[in-house]
Amino acid sequence: QEQEEGDGLILCCFQTRTGVKFVITAKPGTRGLKKTLREIYVLYADCTLKDPFYELEMPIRCELFTQAIDDLMERIDPGGVSGRNGGGNDGIVKLR
Amino acid sequence: MSKSNITAAGHTLWGKMPKANTELFALTYGSLVTELIKDYDNDIDEINKQLDRIGYSIGVRCIDELLSKCEVNGVDIGPCNSFQNTAEVVAKIGFRCFLGMTCDVTNVTENSFSLFLYENPLSIFVELPESGGGGLNDDDGGVDDFGAAAGGSGGIKRLEWSKLKYSNIYCGVIRGALEQVNMKVSCNFARDVLRGDDVNEIKVELKEMLAEGAGEEYQDE
Repeated sequence: QEQEEGDGLILCCFQTRTGVKFVITAKPGTRGLKKTLREIYVLYADCTLKDPFYELEMPIRCELFTQAIDDLMERIDPGGVSGRNGGGNDGIVKLR
Repeated sequence: MSKSNITAAGHTLWGKMPKANTELFALTYGSLVTELIKDYDNDIDEINKQLDRIGYSIGVRCIDELLSKCEVNGVDIGPCNSFQNTAEVVAKIGFRCFLGMTCDVTNVTENSFSLFLYENPLSIFVELPESGGGGLNDDDGGVDDFGAAAGGSGGIKRLEWSKLKYSNIYCGVIRGALEQVNMKVSCNFARDVLRGDDVNEIKVELKEMLAEGAGEEYQDE
């Protein structure tokens, strides 16, 4: 669990014990990123892993997952996300 | 983490998990095994392998679900400091939160442990047939054509139903889950209530600890 800040951006990373890393970028001053990453981990387990068409290590293309993430972002920062690739809380990347 | 904390964690998580109907679960699994028997033409060893493989795919996913639910529900299990600790987590949290089963850990050594499963939800309606005899019985009662095809040499294939590890999927699940946390283990069903033993026993042996699996491009220069 690490957080770096600089250049108008916060970068927060969470590594699970299975080796999966979740990285989130956000506007400076955003709080609760650690909790958000944990919730994303739950969404990953519930949506992506249970999708029978998802293969491990591959890019995530699960409709349920993206919808759930959008809902989560909306709850955290209502109206703040102006687009998937822009806005306050930015993209989420999963690495192994 | 102490034993009582682990047990309490198992109870907490079990409370938070969505529940499914036990009978439906048992019957669905039973249909899966029956289909495997048909697909693999009564090759018991192959069926056991397939159940293990299916369990493996489930296990690699289950562990992330377990760990993520722990994080979010404030259950802190911490990294395991011994193989016994791992065994306790598998038995008291893993089996408890996904299946509601009570399991005991016994015969712990540095590299192995046994899990005793007292009630097995998968096999609540199951009896294994007597060994020997032909394959699946057809409605008309005759098995000759089937037997000839299976036997090859013209005789009816003798089926050793006692070799079928009905709940072998558990072994796969444990193996898959532990591999995701860098422990390579081998699991097998040592004793099975369906075969006449008094308890279900799964023996787990640690083969090796794997190195952290970061890809080459992520390693420091």
